[in-house]
Amino acid sequence: MTKKSFEKIVQEGVRFIARFFPQSRYLYFPLLSAALVWAIKSSMEWREKIFSWEVWLDPSFVKVKSDEFILSFFSDHADLSRAFAEEIRTEDMHALRKLFYNLYPIIGLEDPFLSGLFHQELASQNYRDIAEQYDIKIAQAIVDIEAVEEKGRFLEGLEAIAREMASFSADLITQTSVQRALAEIINKEISKDMD
Amino acid sequence: MRKNVLLLFLLSLACVLSSCTSHLKDAKFYYVQAQESSRSYKTEIAIGSYKKSLQEAEKEVAKNPSSQAFMLKGLAELHLNLWEDAERSFLTAFSYGFDKGQEWAEWVSLFGLASAMEEMGLAQSAFQIYAHLVGKSKLKPVTIFAAQKYSDMALQRALREEGNQKERLLSGLYKEVEKLTNRDLSCGFYHYLQAQILSHRSDYRRCFEECVMARELGLPTQEIFHDNDLQIVFCYKRLKEELSSEDWEEFQPLYMQWVKRWNWPDPETPDWKKR
Repeated sequence: MTKKSFEKIVQEGVRFIARFFPQSRYLYFPLLSAALVWAIKSSMEWREKIFSWEVWLDPSFVKVKSDEFILSFFSDHADLSRAFAEEIRTEDMHALRKLFYNLYPIIGLEDPFLSGLFHQELASQNYRDIAEQYDIKIAQAIVDIEAVEEKGRFLEGLEAIAREMASFSADLITQTSVQRALAEIINKEISKDMD
Repeated sequence: MRKNVLLLFLLSLACVLSSCTSHLKDAKFYYVQAQESSRSYKTEIAIGSYKKSLQEAEKEVAKNPSSQAFMLKGLAELHLNLWEDAERSFLTAFSYGFDKGQEWAEWVSLFGLASAMEEMGLAQSAFQIYAHLVGKSKLKPVTIFAAQKYSDMALQRALREEGNQKERLLSGLYKEVEKLTNRDLSCGFYHYLQAQILSHRSDYRRCFEECVMARELGLPTQEIFHDNDLQIVFCYKRLKEELSSEDWEEFQPLYMQWVKRWNWPDPETPDWKKR
């Protein structure tokens, strides 16, 4: 298959999601990329996940980690160690622990939806913005997704698009460049729409 | 004509009976499917199956209420965090003759109370209830939820202390969780909790061993599974720094055997990590 046909599927995906979330453009990428991850990683009924946030978040992992674990998380990651050099140098555990709660699920545990939700901040390495906007952005996404009408039809359509995208390669998601390409196509579509 | 009416009646009766049996059967089928999916970290499939199990159990209790149907309904609700509904279902199951129903309802009710208190900022009272449930509850989903909450809160308390006092709190917490493991050695989540506490105590060798057991026995969600893997990598890095060359030579080949078994590309990168 050619790159153009992958692009075409993504364009269709954007148009499809736009029908359900006309005012929430920020959701296009996280929904498409998370659906793609789920479609690639397992051919399973992932659809429940989108509308099961509260259930899906529990039982949770143990969030209270040792100082050493937190320091290692920041200092062993090249970008994080640069971004938070001062906090690491002074071992400001109060600040690092606060940042850790928001950054670990995305950068450590690699949650596909959260990574998509903050993809712009991740791409531009604005880690402080992620930490600051984490609660607000997630709360907004929950409200917007919960409000969608015809959930069944939306999920069926999204699943079909994700499977089509996934058919390109079983290894797509391990390639950051593919996610970048996906983001570029989506941004192009959004700006076309705004012109 | 009379024969036809009788035949029709028998056919309708058979249909009604078979539909009753199939709702209970389907509820059990989806419940087992959910548990299997949960064991293989397919959380979202598990949630879907619990929902289907609940739907079938609801149909069953509407048509043919029984202790078994209400018990299944309560269990599915429990896994979907519908605590109040689960409590009601277990109590109804008790009224239909399920002996443990009342006891289960009490544990569910206590857990719901502790969660509400925690949300309202009454952390001390919530902590005491979680501690009680960790020691007493015999309903596994409640024990698991309570153990996670209790451990997180106890670790938070320990972090506020230093030196001997910190070690005393961590040691007490470890003993409580160890009791759970001894009660149910095959529960990966309890080994995961033990590993988390050992990491706070800087006992990385034992922490690694508990992580391995947790991974091999299975964990409730993929998120916890990933967290456990990152703990393994952390132990590896610490042991690399801390062990004597003699001990490292003994540990490293053993670690590499696990890396091979788990198909990790290298000792510090779990297979699910983006590359």
